[in-house]
Amino acid sequence: MNVEQFIRRFAEQFDETPTHDFTVDTRFKENDEWSSMTALSLIAMVDESYSVRLTGDDIRQSSTIKDIYDIVSAKIPNQQA
Amino acid sequence: MITLPAHQYGLIFRLVEERDAEFILSLRTDPKLARHLSATENDLPKQQAWIRTYKQREALGQEYYFLFENEDHEPQGLVRLYDFDGKTYTSGSWLIKPGADEFAAIKADLFSASFAMNELGFERCVFDVRKANKKVLRFHLMFASVTGEDELNVYLALDRAAYERKFKYLTSIIKPQE
Repeated sequence: MNVEQFIRRFAEQFDETPTHDFTVDTRFKENDEWSSMTALSLIAMVDESYSVRLTGDDIRQSSTIKDIYDIVSAKIPNQQA
Repeated sequence: MITLPAHQYGLIFRLVEERDAEFILSLRTDPKLARHLSATENDLPKQQAWIRTYKQREALGQEYYFLFENEDHEPQGLVRLYDFDGKTYTSGSWLIKPGADEFAAIKADLFSASFAMNELGFERCVFDVRKANKKVLRFHLMFASVTGEDELNVYLALDRAAYERKFKYLTSIIKPQE
């Protein structure tokens, strides 16, 4: 799992914020665009791209993109083995 | 059986009343929120009149417009079931107030689909999503089938089997008691 690619995919969920504004340390919930719809789109992106299901708690407990990245990394089956 | 108002997923779902006109207008005329919906005039008496007409359709079982509140009874969003045709219905007018629970969209979708399929006995939901509404389109494409598209919209359908897959998936993200 490539972190740069993950950040880019994460950033694509935000329609109005330039991709280059996002880093691993970005506190995504502080972005004005973060909403219920963005959360839903993020869950869909992670499922589609990594076959990983984020839960409500995963998102609630995360602040930065790195927090989500770490959760997804830990849930990818071939990386758990 | 779902009794209204329904307390589900930490939200309270009830039918829209005339007194909700101002809240509905505040969402439907918000430039960010409503950019993927058909245009609504910022006209309170007109909105109130629309709700009065809607209540007649509701009384006939032809349409259901839900408003959901948080546990402090603050309105959080809207979702509507309409265009009933045999075993088919349409879901739309899905709007969430900025700052609402970050899973309010999923919760509203779960509630409305469950009401339509289990309470009203529909077998298929047909709906369209603006192509530019990428977030919502990505979500729906996880479960629904594309039935067509034009320059502006993608047309989708969700049958009962797809609904059941979707319900199972979403309730693994959002627990019903949340």
